[in-house]
Order: sequence, then C-alpha cells, then structure tokens
Amino acid sequence: MARRLLLFITVILLLTLLTFACKQKRKEQVDNEESEGKGKIAVVISTLNNPWFVVLGNTAKERAEQLGYEATIFDSQNDTAKESDHFENIIAGGYVAILFNPTDADGSIANVRKAKEADVPTFCIDREINANDVAVTQILSDNYTGCVELGQYFVKKMNRKGTYVELLGILGDNNTWNRSKGFHSVVDNYPELKMVSQQTAEFDRTKAMEVLESILQAHPQIDAVFCGNDAMAMGAYQALVAAGKADKVMVFGFDGAKDVIDSIHDGKIIATGMQFPKKMARMAAEQADEYIKGRRDFPQKVPVAVELVTEENVAKYTAYGRRSEQ
Amino acid sequence: MKKACKCAVAAAIIAFLVYNSIYFENLEDIKQQQRRETFNAAEYARDFWDNQLFSVLDQAVDVKELIELFNTNMNEAIKRYGKAPGVSRIYAYLINGNGTILTIAEDFLEISIREPQINPDIKITTGFYIPGNAVRDASGLIDVSEFSDTMKFNEISGEINKIVVKEVIRPFLDKKPQVGKTIRFLGATQVAQDATEETKFQVVEVVPIRLDLE
Repeated sequence: MARRLLLFITVILLLTLLTFACKQKRKEQVDNEESEGKGKIAVVISTLNNPWFVVLGNTAKERAEQLGYEATIFDSQNDTAKESDHFENIIAGGYVAILFNPTDADGSIANVRKAKEADVPTFCIDREINANDVAVTQILSDNYTGCVELGQYFVKKMNRKGTYVELLGILGDNNTWNRSKGFHSVVDNYPELKMVSQQTAEFDRTKAMEVLESILQAHPQIDAVFCGNDAMAMGAYQALVAAGKADKVMVFGFDGAKDVIDSIHDGKIIATGMQFPKKMARMAAEQADEYIKGRRDFPQKVPVAVELVTEENVAKYTAYGRRSEQ
Repeated sequence: MKKACKCAVAAAIIAFLVYNSIYFENLEDIKQQQRRETFNAAEYARDFWDNQLFSVLDQAVDVKELIELFNTNMNEAIKRYGKAPGVSRIYAYLINGNGTILTIAEDFLEISIREPQINPDIKITTGFYIPGNAVRDASGLIDVSEFSDTMKFNEISGEINKIVVKEVIRPFLDKKPQVGKTIRFLGATQVAQDATEETKFQVVEVVPIRLDLE
C-alpha cells in the first residue's frame, strides 16, 4: 500500500516537472526560431464554413508567408471549445504570433489572455473581443456605421413604409449586434416600416433559407429581408425563389461576398455592405511582422470602414473589395 | 509511515484541487471592469458636448476654403483637416461659414455661400434624427481604443446626434428661418476621399453644432 502511495506521489511530481519542462522547451523553441528564422504564425478563423472567412484566412496566411513565416490555418468551427484547444496547441507549438478571428466576443477573451501570458501576441481580425488589454491590436470592420448607411438606403428603397424581416447572425458575436443596431438606429425612426420577425440564422446560408421559409408561412406578404451577412442573404433569396416571391421581396445583405456582388449586378439582391477581408487580413499579418521586429505602439482598435454597394455603384466593386484595390 | 504517506497524498490532492479551483485577479482590473459595465453613453455624450467639444471648435475651417481644397488637392485637405477613427476613405471635418437660405425642406436647409445665390453649396441637416458619426469623428476627441467594445463608441455617436437635434436644430427651427435670410453655421461634415474624382465637389452636407440667424 505504502509503495503504491509513494508511486502515486512520484507520478504527480513527475507530471509537475514535465509541465515545467514543456513550458521551458516552448520558450526555448520560440527563442531559437526568433534567432534562426522568422518562425510560425497561426491563423485562427471562427469558421471555414463561409466563403468570406475562407478568404480572410487564406489572405492572412498568404501575406504571412510572403513576409517569410510558416503559416497554418486553424478552423474553430464557431466553437469556443475548439478555439481553446487550438490556442493550447499553438502555445505549445512554438508559434510566434496569432492572427485571430474570434468566435465569441466574451468567450474568446480567455484564449487571447492565455496566449499573452505565454508571450504569444494576438492580432484580432474582423471580429472583436470585449477587452482592450489582451490583444496587441484589433482590426475591425466598422459594422455599425456600415449598417447605418445600409439602413438609409433601405429606407429610401422601401419609400419609408412596408414590412420586413431581419435575419440575425450568431447572437454571441458583437458584429451581429453592431450591424443590427446600426440598421435599426435609422429604420426605427420610420413608424411605417414594421419588422414582423427577427430571428437568428447564425450567419449560415442553409439556416437562413430554412428560417425564412418558416417565417414566410406566418408572414407571406413581406416587402424586404435585411440579413446580417451575405451568406444569409443568399439563403433568404433561395427561400424567396422557392416561394415564388423573389421579384416582390427586396433582399439586403452585408459582407461583399462574390455571389452577392454578382447578384446585385443581376438585380437579384438590392444592396450589401462591402467589408474588406483581404485588406484586414493583410494588415494583421503586416502588423504581426512589425510587432515581431520590435514595434509596440499599436492602437488597440482599428475600425475599417464598410462601403455601401448598390446597383448604382456595383461596377466599382468585385468580390471582397474595390476593383481598384485588387 | 503509512500515516505520513496518506497525509502527503491528501495534501497533494487538496493542493491540486485548490490550485485548479481558485484564481486571483487584480482588484483594480475588477473595478475597471465594473466601471466599463456601468458605462452610460448619454452621460458620456453630455460630458463631451458640455466640457470637451468647445476646445476644438476653433479648429473649424472656413467652408469656402475647404471646398476649394477638395476640388484642387483632396489629399492636402485630408492631411490638413480630415479626421477618421480608423482605416477609411471617408474623412470628417469641422467647418464654419455663413450663407443665404435657398430652400427649407423637411429634413434640411439648402444654403448658398457665394454669389450669384442660385445653386446650393451647403445642405444643413435639420431632420428629427441624425444618422452617422460626423460630429464625433470630426472632433477627433474620442478614441475607439478607450472602449472594451465598439458598441459603446457607436452609442456615443447616437447620443451626440440626439443632443444636436434637441439643442441645436429644434431651437433654430423655433426661430422660423425663412428663404433669403442669412445664417451662420459651425458643424461637421464627412467627405469621401474620391468625392472629386469624377466631378467637381457639389454640395457639402453639414451636421450643425452651432446655428444662428443673422
């Protein structure tokens, strides 16, 4: 019995020593990589189940590689537990920086803090975390202002009256509410514009189609659908086509994804807010490089303006950006 | 010996459990977090309007000079007077000037600032609500990095706009402005950096901070 207990204590002590040894080794790995080459950069993306985020992740990876780093993309699948596992692996794996598209504004803070404590700098892209003292910088789409502009256009196209549906994104994501509040800060000033239903479709095309199909059962006479992203706008449009209402109901999206830019050109979707995933991803990679080289004076939050794309100006835009900037 | 071992194991288990179930945080961090949670955008906007904004109003540029600069050298206009809170093609400016009222519409006044007074140069917002961030951004006084989440930064803008409607626009409209009268204005505007790429700059839209009939 006594021998078993001694063995048990020994195992605990060994595990503790092993933990210290791993940490030390990781530190040495980082030191070696910094002295020998540029090292590895992790690109952690909330979900790769949406083309917009695929562009964000791939651009960040490409830019990091152009700058001389080895870059790897991690897909969090909109799951904070998976995201947390990725951070554990990244910290243990000797990465020199993390380009991070968070899953949850509150739930992702702990991961960034963990990385900071392990001296791995994190650069948030597109989505923010509700903290301004853990990431090095946060390069964010100015969703609220973009949706203010979209809301003004919505009011104009609706001629200040009618009924509409709003499809929200992921409820734990600040972008969802920044977009919704920006839109409502304009539209709610017009009492003859009535929202008959507001439901989440979690930024997902298939869910948006299903949710709108269900809403159309109860509210068959709507005039417009405002969607918190372009994937949902395309899903909503599919539901309207299936219901034979695509010509009667106006669809508004947000993102600037390829299929929606094409659809605006074809007159199927009315408008979207153009975010600039490529620009933000490049900026994040470049700032990580500058940080590694010694720069420290980064603004904590950098809003990147969103631009309204409509049939009047769609010729100036292509998927995920302006034609002149591609 | 057995007893000592049992005690050691118990101590190790307790230490392990305690270590994994208790964590310490800086008290000041917690207080700071609580202060953030009690953030009130209306109070922030009121303080901005009453105690901060006046300190930058003397930086307002003459609107004629600014329009001239937009048409001749937009980059110089941005460099000298433009402000943006992040990466944007749209810059905010503080401007002032005076002109003659040409039109009184439901949501705006059209003003001519030069002779002959035929075409409007300025459109002053006078609606019951104001969208956008012109005043907040043109002031350059509020830094988005101060806020743990950007929604607070946006809410401030909404509250500033409410003050403009209540304390600038309504009192001015109560004075019953009429077409042909001269007004003096100081306000904020937002202009895209490519606004003059295709045509010369036409009309500056202004969110008023001060409005007076002369």
